[in-house]
Amino acid sequence: MNATLYMPIPAIIERIEDETPDIKTFTIRPVEPIPFAAGQFVELAVPGIGEAPFTPSSSPRISDFMEITIMRTGRVTDWLHNMKEGDELGVRGPMGRAYPIADFHGREILIVGGGCGVGPLRSLLLALIDDLDAYARIIVRYGARSADSIVFKDAQMHGWDQGGALDVMLTVDEESSNWDGHVGMITDILEEDYLDCHASDGIAVMCGPPVMMKYGTGKLLERGYLPENIYLSMERNMSCGIGQCGHCRLGRYYICKDGPVFSYDELQNDRGLWDD
Amino acid sequence: MNWTIRVSSSLDEVLAFLANERETYGLKELENGHYSLTKSTGWQPEYHTLGDFRQIEPLKALFFPAREFIGSWKDQSALHPLPNRIVFGVKNCDLSSLGVFDHVFLNGVCPDPYYQEAREKTILVSCDCNSHLDVCFCPAMGEQPYAMSGFDINIAQTAGGYILESGSERGEQLLESARQYLEPATGDLLEKLEEQRTRHYGELVENSKAHGLNPGTDFRTAIETSFDSDLWQEFAEDCVECGACNFICCTCHCFLLADGYDARAEPARTKLWDACLYSGFAATAGGGNPRPLRAERLRNRFDKKFSYFPQVLDRYACDGCGRCSEACIANIDVRDVLRRAVDECDALHAHSSDHRAN
Repeated sequence: MNATLYMPIPAIIERIEDETPDIKTFTIRPVEPIPFAAGQFVELAVPGIGEAPFTPSSSPRISDFMEITIMRTGRVTDWLHNMKEGDELGVRGPMGRAYPIADFHGREILIVGGGCGVGPLRSLLLALIDDLDAYARIIVRYGARSADSIVFKDAQMHGWDQGGALDVMLTVDEESSNWDGHVGMITDILEEDYLDCHASDGIAVMCGPPVMMKYGTGKLLERGYLPENIYLSMERNMSCGIGQCGHCRLGRYYICKDGPVFSYDELQNDRGLWDD
Repeated sequence: MNWTIRVSSSLDEVLAFLANERETYGLKELENGHYSLTKSTGWQPEYHTLGDFRQIEPLKALFFPAREFIGSWKDQSALHPLPNRIVFGVKNCDLSSLGVFDHVFLNGVCPDPYYQEAREKTILVSCDCNSHLDVCFCPAMGEQPYAMSGFDINIAQTAGGYILESGSERGEQLLESARQYLEPATGDLLEKLEEQRTRHYGELVENSKAHGLNPGTDFRTAIETSFDSDLWQEFAEDCVECGACNFICCTCHCFLLADGYDARAEPARTKLWDACLYSGFAATAGGGNPRPLRAERLRNRFDKKFSYFPQVLDRYACDGCGRCSEACIANIDVRDVLRRAVDECDALHAHSSDHRAN
């Protein structure tokens, strides 16, 4: 009998990098490669303790290891944050529906991230950068609580703009002496003054905390993005990851198998959409 | 093919032959008049019976155990395989509920090998209900008190004798192998069965109607329309979120993958029944919870059964077995909830037609 459906394969933590005081990026190497597409997620398990869903933040071109950016926010992530390089984890996946990158070809793509939600978007961005000429234009708008809570160092140093090829702008909610960039909410830098875009036929991809997703989607619609062109990375407590255990149901969907990436038009009639 | 038992043989003889060496489940009548699934080796005529109506516990437990050991972290070698099994006395509500389980555990992203093995190794011998419980309302859910599909063999008791019908290839083969006890059922006997089924279906329709549930009612619309109704808060005031309705339900399939340690202190994983009435069921890390209120969780249970499943499987995830009504210690009756939702929906439509008329 095959037990691997619900049992993870072992993976070694190769590297742990502090991103912010409560966010770390773990580089894990599974015993066999896990090929994934940007937006798909995996279940990471701490042996004997528990399991939780995470979306890799590394390039989907690499399958023998993956980076996963994790905020310390609950029981499993507490354990993960206390683990060391060389420790063993379990991993199952990849699971769910990825970003439909093939449909993005030739289009302008706006990537909107908030807080730790920028992890999956970094994976997407790395996939897009691999084939930069295939897209009309790539825009990144990223909001964090403060300068110290900006997740990726390469983002802070504007390494994401590829020498000017991408239009990248960051904002932080709180002013500080080590920040000379924009101060304000993510929705501020989606306004006309800061975002010059072709909303009517552009693609917008968003991932972040629920409240940001709610108001961010509202702002994108206001700017003229079409519901079918707004992609959201939804999160619930995906547990089995294969549409069986029932925990992540949202209306007529299971986030784990029908998502986690949805276009807004698939979700807009759900009355519990923005409940977190 | 329909068979009946030769005068020279008895039902017990046939059932013992069908059970053969298999792990055998039959119904046992309890002192309170209810039935309970009872395991044995072979058919045990001294306490096994086919039962007049469904047993207390849902059939799902044989395919989706309440607690199932998945494996140890270090040793993922094959678990003990299941024995060949046969279940006698399955009623149509339970049989129909397996359609929900097949959808979830066989026809999804990847089949569950545990469930698949249990299904393959279990012969289902259903039988017509001869009477019903007060809580039964299968006709309102589009079902009936006898099986029309999904069984290997069905047994119906009529005034003129038993009728054994095969419903699958292996059921057919099994009955063929029991030819020494059987002979083809006569048309006269089959006619008697039809009359009896029609009569009993009518009695169940009356029982459903007596509790306000009419066959053919659009419960999906009723539940979807009542999303913002006070009814959820009102019923939730009595609910103690014990999860009994979830666990006793013949279609509830949610589970938890629980990590812990096995007897050798090795990390191990177990699959446990879970309940959407529990406050932490949908909770996410960091304190988020899409359904923090008990009323929202109660509504979610009905939403899943009467809106989600009609959308993905074109059926209700309810067969009207009434077990949740019996199990609820707060006396929340599924029929009362459905009737209230239907009444509110009807009142709303009457109101909107009044407006149009004016």
